[in-house]
Amino acid sequence: MKGYVLKKIILLFPLLFGITLITFTLTKALPGDPVYSMVGERASPQTLEKIRKEIGADKGVVQQYFGYVSLLLTGEMGRSYYTNRKVLAEITAKLPNTLKLAAGAMCLAVPLGILLGLISALKKNTAADRMITFFSVAGVSVPVFWSGLVLMLLFSLKLRLLPPSGTGDLRYLLLPALTLSLPALASIVRVTRVSVLEVMDMQFVRTARAKGIKESRVNGVHILKNAMVPVVTVIGLEFGSYLNGAVLTETIFGWDGIGRFTMEGIMKRDYPVIMGCIIVGTLIFVLINLLVDVMYYYLDPRVRVDGTER
Amino acid sequence: MGLSGKISCFLILLIFTVCLLSPYIVSSRPDSIDLDSLKQPPSMKHLFGTDNKGRDILSRVLYGGRISISIAVLAALISMTIGLVIGLMSGYFGGKLDTFFMALVDLVLAFPSLLLAIGVSVLFPPGVYTVMIALSAVGWASFARLIRGQVFSLREASFIEAAKAAGCGNARILLVHILPQCIPLAFVMTGLKLGGYIITEAGLSFLGLGAQPPTATWGSMISANRVFISSAPWMVLAPGILIAITALSFNVLGDDLREKYAVNKSSRVL
Repeated sequence: MKGYVLKKIILLFPLLFGITLITFTLTKALPGDPVYSMVGERASPQTLEKIRKEIGADKGVVQQYFGYVSLLLTGEMGRSYYTNRKVLAEITAKLPNTLKLAAGAMCLAVPLGILLGLISALKKNTAADRMITFFSVAGVSVPVFWSGLVLMLLFSLKLRLLPPSGTGDLRYLLLPALTLSLPALASIVRVTRVSVLEVMDMQFVRTARAKGIKESRVNGVHILKNAMVPVVTVIGLEFGSYLNGAVLTETIFGWDGIGRFTMEGIMKRDYPVIMGCIIVGTLIFVLINLLVDVMYYYLDPRVRVDGTER
Repeated sequence: MGLSGKISCFLILLIFTVCLLSPYIVSSRPDSIDLDSLKQPPSMKHLFGTDNKGRDILSRVLYGGRISISIAVLAALISMTIGLVIGLMSGYFGGKLDTFFMALVDLVLAFPSLLLAIGVSVLFPPGVYTVMIALSAVGWASFARLIRGQVFSLREASFIEAAKAAGCGNARILLVHILPQCIPLAFVMTGLKLGGYIITEAGLSFLGLGAQPPTATWGSMISANRVFISSAPWMVLAPGILIAITALSFNVLGDDLREKYAVNKSSRVL
């Protein structure tokens, strides 16, 4: 077990190196000189030179990359070109908001998704199953920025139940969390259904029934527990992809998290901000995948130590 | 093909044809401004209403659909082609080449896809081609991995051995014997993924990285019109419903295809 996790963790390092390299290349290739957008077109050459020196843009690209990596290694991400605040500090200040949003979405999507998936599988080929299946396909087919706007129109502008935008308590959280949860809900339902159907036909389920165990216990314990492995994977993946959805959802609902921060950085060509956000976002994504791998191991002892399945 | 698959096929063809033939279907141009009919609700004259500049929403949605659908389909085909080339080489030659390409695939898949697509699309001035490049840059990786797996299992097949014994070169084996075996799988996967491409294209346009005004795409219409959501909701509803129906049809069709091809174990990854 330890070896398995250790191997996964060691594999993270080249991955992180690759991620910083790609992110760096992307931001360096951005059109437009950030120095001009900081001080305006009419600044004197001396000012330009001074600022270039300040942000390190006068050095070669390779030097800049290693400069950035050594900065990262000291636990820093540089300062925003515009606000001159530390990027890492801004991200750590905004990250809790994004995590709150993701957790809110999770609390809606996971229990409901598993329940609906289970019902759908147990009542296979009935009207209820067809309806749940249809809505779960619909859930992944509707873009979050649109479903968010429709929910906003319905609940804040027509019914006036919830505030349309802003960051704050539960009332502010509800709509963006609901929006963000829809695609995840849909995929959790789908995966639960397929997985439960697969487990239902296995011999140990027949044995459990033959032993006279109550139907509710067979469904709840024997089937569900064994069907959870792929569900856990998809929950992990969805949590990671919340970072995708967060960029759009936070922009719409004015939620002060790293999704909106990323978007603002892109609009202003604020390289340190863009790089910091993409690196932190990807890091979270990678770590969650690692966590899923580890949970896999606990849930399913059949996963062998070398990482291959069954 | 099941009933649901047939219905979605029909809907996809319908939307494609109507969008392609839009110049012959709607009388008003998508960008002709009419200051006498601003923000008109849906009526017989303007089936989907008009926007804040008096432009006909139906015509904008149809003309926009041409762009959105073309971008999604082309990007999916480009991803497929790149995935085929890399997957074929990686699976057939194996060794260091395979290690390198698969590390690259892992790296691309390690990014949350929209973040990477945003990262790529800010490299180029906003526009139709930018979105296409961004979608392909992110999308090729899963194709490459799938095709590689397929080639890997084909490599040891006896007909390949026979071809080698008959003196075929690598190029001939790859192009004549292996490639045709991978094409159906590649197209099925393209079909499965098209719904996702439509959604991501809309997302990038929504963020302002795609076609620039006054050109309409589904995503950019929602983005531009969202400030009017309380006074003129039809301006936002129409493009969103079209995105949803198109993506839904592709996804339902994809499910149908998946069930049909699920007999084959390698397509379980789909």
